Amino acid sequence: MSAAPAETEAGRRARPRPVRADWLSKTLAGLLLGFSLSIIASGLLMTQLRELPVAVSGQLAMWLVPPVWLLVLACVYFFASGLRAWAWLLGANALALGLWWLIRQGGAA
Amino acid sequence: MRADYIRIYKSVHTWTGIVAGMALFIAFYAGALTVFKEPLRRWSTPPAALMQPVPMDAAQPLIVQTLAATPAAGRGATLRLEGGQAIARLEWQVRNPKADDHDESSVRHFSAVLAPDGSVQVREQPPSRLVEFIDVLHRVVGLPVDSDPNRWIMGVISALYFLALVSGVVVLLPSLVKDFFALRVGRNLKRMWLDAHNVVGIVSLPFHIVMALSAVVFAYHDQIFALQDKLVHQGQWSQAFPRSQAKPGEAPPRDPAGMLPPSRLVQIVKDAAPGFEPVGLQYSQVTGPKPMVRVWGKNPEAVSPRALGGFAALDPYSGKLLSSDYLSGAQSTPNLFISSFFALHMASFGGAAVPWLYLLLGLAGAWLFYSGNLLWVETRRKAQRRGGEMPAQRRDTALMASATVGVCIGCVAGISLTLAAAKWLPGRVDGLAAWHVGIYYSVFFACVAWAFARGAARAAVPLLWLAVACTLAIPASSLLGWLAPGTGAWAERALLGVDLTALAGALALAWMARATARRVRSGPQDSVWSAARPQPAGEGQGQEPALPWPR
Repeated sequence: MSAAPAETEAGRRARPRPVRADWLSKTLAGLLLGFSLSIIASGLLMTQLRELPVAVSGQLAMWLVPPVWLLVLACVYFFASGLRAWAWLLGANALALGLWWLIRQGGAA
Repeated sequence: MRADYIRIYKSVHTWTGIVAGMALFIAFYAGALTVFKEPLRRWSTPPAALMQPVPMDAAQPLIVQTLAATPAAGRGATLRLEGGQAIARLEWQVRNPKADDHDESSVRHFSAVLAPDGSVQVREQPPSRLVEFIDVLHRVVGLPVDSDPNRWIMGVISALYFLALVSGVVVLLPSLVKDFFALRVGRNLKRMWLDAHNVVGIVSLPFHIVMALSAVVFAYHDQIFALQDKLVHQGQWSQAFPRSQAKPGEAPPRDPAGMLPPSRLVQIVKDAAPGFEPVGLQYSQVTGPKPMVRVWGKNPEAVSPRALGGFAALDPYSGKLLSSDYLSGAQSTPNLFISSFFALHMASFGGAAVPWLYLLLGLAGAWLFYSGNLLWVETRRKAQRRGGEMPAQRRDTALMASATVGVCIGCVAGISLTLAAAKWLPGRVDGLAAWHVGIYYSVFFACVAWAFARGAARAAVPLLWLAVACTLAIPASSLLGWLAPGTGAWAERALLGVDLTALAGALALAWMARATARRVRSGPQDSVWSAARPQPAGEGQGQEPALPWPR
């Protein structure tokens, strides 16, 4: 769980920025921020399913959580570094949360 | 794609695969058999315990009297239907209120039949639990009890499995077009195994994605629901399913004698969903203010929301349809959408061909994890140069090879033997369920211990022959029961498919045993799969990396 040294490879090739492994920080970003994003995504889905009974739409919202969470976790290693993973995923969370808040304001009015 | 990504995702694939692989082998092997739970249940039930079906409405006196007289049955009891007739036995369960919601081992099973004099006879009847045990192995990756913590372990394994799927695809993508249709059978056996691993993985990828994601849901749905109820639904979710019991004295208890007979209940559901074939009636709270009967059944032309099929909820007195949310063939689109996730996991759709397809996909999945472990071992082999010294191999590869052989073959042999034992145990021992569990784990742990003691190469062939013998014991038990009914074993022609499938499985295992024996005898000696002791320089026959089984 340590950052893999990528310096040698960087020297060998002309690539400007090698991808850092950053196992711990990327995995944590995927686990934590992926999970929060999946819950917010289920909240966004619920705003679109208002005409269904909660007993049904709630199940659909629950089924949305693992795919979103695990897809984020699986793709988190594409980020160039752990720091970028945290930054982008925090941004995505904030954006989704803002959108959810906006839709709910609109829905209440 | 940049080489960096490939390198990183190769690490992800390696480590998720190696951690989850053997648990997933057990889950897939046991799960492939669980698809045929009902035939296996009938195969393993002694004929004496089977009851002749009677016309549906002949069971009505039994239902009415038992539900009225036995409070536990009044809360919930089931009547099984078979081909338009009823099995005249009412069954119900009493749960230990302190035990885990999903822990089936603490449940006590009761049944009631009508004596010739018309009185209700209740007795506690522990089920054989053989098929339930195999299902538990499937659901909690080889652990003995389906409890909450064990399902959380399964959930972690499933999440790792999903990561392994995505990372495997990422690693393969750049060469997918080149490699997909290439199965390079030849001298480079590792290349061939890798090609086979890739082609099986890519071809069955949709199946595996469905399995991984739904397994995570099955592990953590309670927790996700609880969290969403707080954060998303503002408490509306828990109120959507009122579980509150009516307090006694609120309404006079109703008399079950006023309920509609089974044939009327079934007809109401058939009218609502043409093609529906009833398999059971599940009565609940029939004396209370909210009486209900769930008419369970299958509909071969529709998606079934559960492994057992689907159900319509009726008022047993008025026959009013209370809910068709789970009625195969009459569901609303959102409910059908949700049910399809269950159906895709449990093969409860599409008629007779689908279970066989799932059996094959499940076995192919088990092979995928097995071959993945072998590739891990083989990738870390230090090859002997032609004429060079025999290199010292890493200890972890030898241990991983032993574990893979012991766990995988031990699981196959253990399940086979505990299945075969179903024809010999009834009437001879008490506590059938414990015997089935004991037999499985004895064989399983003996195989694992043997594999570590002897090393993978020298354990693999005897273990495979053991698996052949255990699997052959399944049709042999039926054959003996047919030839010599005095032994207590039995055979049933309608369930010959179980015996023939086991026979085919035994033949396949025998083929593997022979191929492995050849490999162990004459393969390259720098491999963990070579039984020959390291020999002086110059004795090695080949420099191609090679893997144990088929050549």
